[in-house]
Amino acid sequence: MTSLPVPRRPRSWPRVAAVVAVIAAITAVTVTPALGGIRVDLGAIARNWHYGAHHLAQMAQLDFSILPRTAKPLLETLEMAVVGAAVAAALALPLSLWAARPTNPGPSRRAVRAVLNVVRSVPDLVYATLLVAMVGVGALPGVLTLVLFDLGVVVKLVSEAIDSADSSYMEAGHAAGGTQTQINRLTAAPQAWPAYGSQVLYSLELNVRISAVLGLVGAGGIGRLIDEVRGFYRYGALAVIILEILVVVIAIEVASNVLRKRLR
Amino acid sequence: MTERLATAPGAAQAASGPWPLRLSDVTVRYPNGTVALRNVSLSVAPGEMVSVVGLSGSGKSTLIRTLNGLVPVTSGHVEVGPYAVDELRGRRLRQLRGSVGMIFQGFNLADRTSVYNNVLVGRFSHTPTWRTLLGLVGHDDRDVVMAALDSVGMLEKVWGRAGALSGGQKQRVAIARALSQEPRVMLADEPVASLDPPTAHAVMSDLRRINSERGLTVLVNLHLMDLARQYTTRMIGLRGGELVYDGPAAPADDAVFEEIYGRPIQARDTLERSS
Amino acid sequence: MTATLPATTRVVAAPARPSRLPVRAAQLVAGAVVLAALVHLRIGWSDLAALPGALGHYLVLMFAHPNWAKLPYALQQTWVSVQMAWVGALLGVVVSTILGIPAAQGVSPLWVRLPLRGLFAVLRAVPEVIIAIVILTVTGLTPFTGALALTIGGIGTHGKWTYETIEAVPTGTAEAVRAAGGSLLEVARWGLWPAAAPELMSLALYRFEINVRTSAILGLIGVGGVGDLLTGYTQYRQWDAVGVLVIVVVVVTMLIDAASGAIRRRIMGGARTRVVDRTV
Repeated sequence: MTSLPVPRRPRSWPRVAAVVAVIAAITAVTVTPALGGIRVDLGAIARNWHYGAHHLAQMAQLDFSILPRTAKPLLETLEMAVVGAAVAAALALPLSLWAARPTNPGPSRRAVRAVLNVVRSVPDLVYATLLVAMVGVGALPGVLTLVLFDLGVVVKLVSEAIDSADSSYMEAGHAAGGTQTQINRLTAAPQAWPAYGSQVLYSLELNVRISAVLGLVGAGGIGRLIDEVRGFYRYGALAVIILEILVVVIAIEVASNVLRKRLR
Repeated sequence: MTERLATAPGAAQAASGPWPLRLSDVTVRYPNGTVALRNVSLSVAPGEMVSVVGLSGSGKSTLIRTLNGLVPVTSGHVEVGPYAVDELRGRRLRQLRGSVGMIFQGFNLADRTSVYNNVLVGRFSHTPTWRTLLGLVGHDDRDVVMAALDSVGMLEKVWGRAGALSGGQKQRVAIARALSQEPRVMLADEPVASLDPPTAHAVMSDLRRINSERGLTVLVNLHLMDLARQYTTRMIGLRGGELVYDGPAAPADDAVFEEIYGRPIQARDTLERSS
Repeated sequence: MTATLPATTRVVAAPARPSRLPVRAAQLVAGAVVLAALVHLRIGWSDLAALPGALGHYLVLMFAHPNWAKLPYALQQTWVSVQMAWVGALLGVVVSTILGIPAAQGVSPLWVRLPLRGLFAVLRAVPEVIIAIVILTVTGLTPFTGALALTIGGIGTHGKWTYETIEAVPTGTAEAVRAAGGSLLEVARWGLWPAAAPELMSLALYRFEINVRTSAILGLIGVGGVGDLLTGYTQYRQWDAVGVLVIVVVVVTMLIDAASGAIRRRIMGGARTRVVDRTV
């Protein structure tokens, strides 16, 4: 049997090895207390796992007496989520087209992206903490937090979707003598619509989750109640609230999946 | 040759017939250093149907894109009708493009929106931006769109999604988009390279019909020699960015094509034998 | 304009536009829901009117004279947060990948997929802060608790992304491997991994970016890091120190985003098949 002249196989392992080495190095630094890393204390888990188990057992004893008190803050949480997502959605479509390369080849794209990167880099609860201190306790700082958070998420993901999608239709629009605004309005916006719609729905899902926590810093919703029952160590009641959030989040998710399928 | 045609504001009032094209000593160098066109000069009379043939990378796509300013020239002059294309920018460039229809190898349709919206793209240069922004479509524009779709036999698909069409149907919608511009010149960049042979012949026939019925100047890039011979009257050959042939298309024999391609004829150079 | 119309243009009988009633109805319902929510929230319009003034006032307090003496401490605590984020992302991605692949349609049967997807849904619904509250009874108020909370909280979303990515892989390759007699593991290795790997690695880095933000939040319950510091300064209304913290958080997060984004673009660059480079 004659040996076939096989072309040399391109070697990919040096690159893979380099990537693995970098990940390992960063991980080593982050888990070495001597280098200021965090202490991965597996011993603590071995010693104290029963405390956690105990709390979980307490949570398993559901305390439904909290249920009537949850209705109002839960509704408020939902309303904040809806209003926040709606306001953000209205602002996000033009901003997404503004922040993507095919739909905005000009220099203003960089400015929009820079501002959005700053907005995006502040965590939601930091916004909530600051806004509560600024405008007072209530739903308003909560909604504002959600709008800022959603804008960051939706505009980033939609503009990236526009960036990576096939935009050959742009050339046809330019060749027909259209302005960038005309091309964006008539063709780029419908092209981006599935990505946009699905990200808006996704932001609504996230909002329910986030607005449940916003109450911890006074920004309205069910989080206030979470803070209260935690303060009184009512783990059974906490579990009921978590279950309620779970039901709402899953309901929203199912609904948004149904809508998402229709977007395609 | 040296006398520039006026880029007069009265361009729109010029005769409503087809426009001549003229390239004078045009060179295009891309930012990465590639020279795509080297000192090309040619002129096309109003109403001519001309093919540009050459292998991929010969500069065909670049040449056709200098005519509507999609690719700026590095040196030389490009004249299309009353416009000096190399001097245009902004609104005047868009005006010129409005008068030059273009169809593409990949159809370049927005797949997720309706055929109607795609053809409406051809009305951009006739529509103020704010009207497009508000989604206002005039009756005139609507009629032009429907007539353009009707003329390529795609009227019944007007409310369908562009992405749901077959390749040949997409290219016909793209032709309707170009026609709805009410152009003076039609450019086609490898319009049939993504189509099967019967559809390719249908689209080439459409182009010839546009040329004969509307009297438009048509410039079409092709890499298949039999299509160039069959459908165009004049042929321009490009090799490595240089003009190597300019003459009648029908009598061009294999020797001429071997000269243009710079290699012996192969099966894939014709639609008949490659399929 | 009509003067330039070619003679061939004539009015043709166009087919009737299909009814847009269902779309309009859906838009109406969505609008009504938003409006009802807005009205019921009873946000005071006077508060809203006072908002720009208040924002301006506090922005001046925060950024006119930031208290730079707090910078070293702020940086140190931010580093703790970033470490939490990294460890949490690494553990979370490993677990999510292991659990996410069998949760994809076409990889395993329904009785495997359903419980896994249920687990992801449950974890998605529980905020990290609450996960941390339970975990801290085991590992105490330490950054390790934060990392574990990020790990477990991340599994919910990341597991979902993993199976969605796998499901988005064109079925042809997986079928080809299965047709050639490949086992489940072989289908995953040769049919799914090559197509899904760039996206999955890109998502893993994205997970880290998200965790950098979430780790700052976990400070709220005292596991350490920049969030801890922020709660303290805000409670005592030390706005000049809050300003420094916000600047540090923004700069560090943006640097990490930029680095991670550059890597993600490189990873995904190979997957892009078409580049339009000549369009004006």
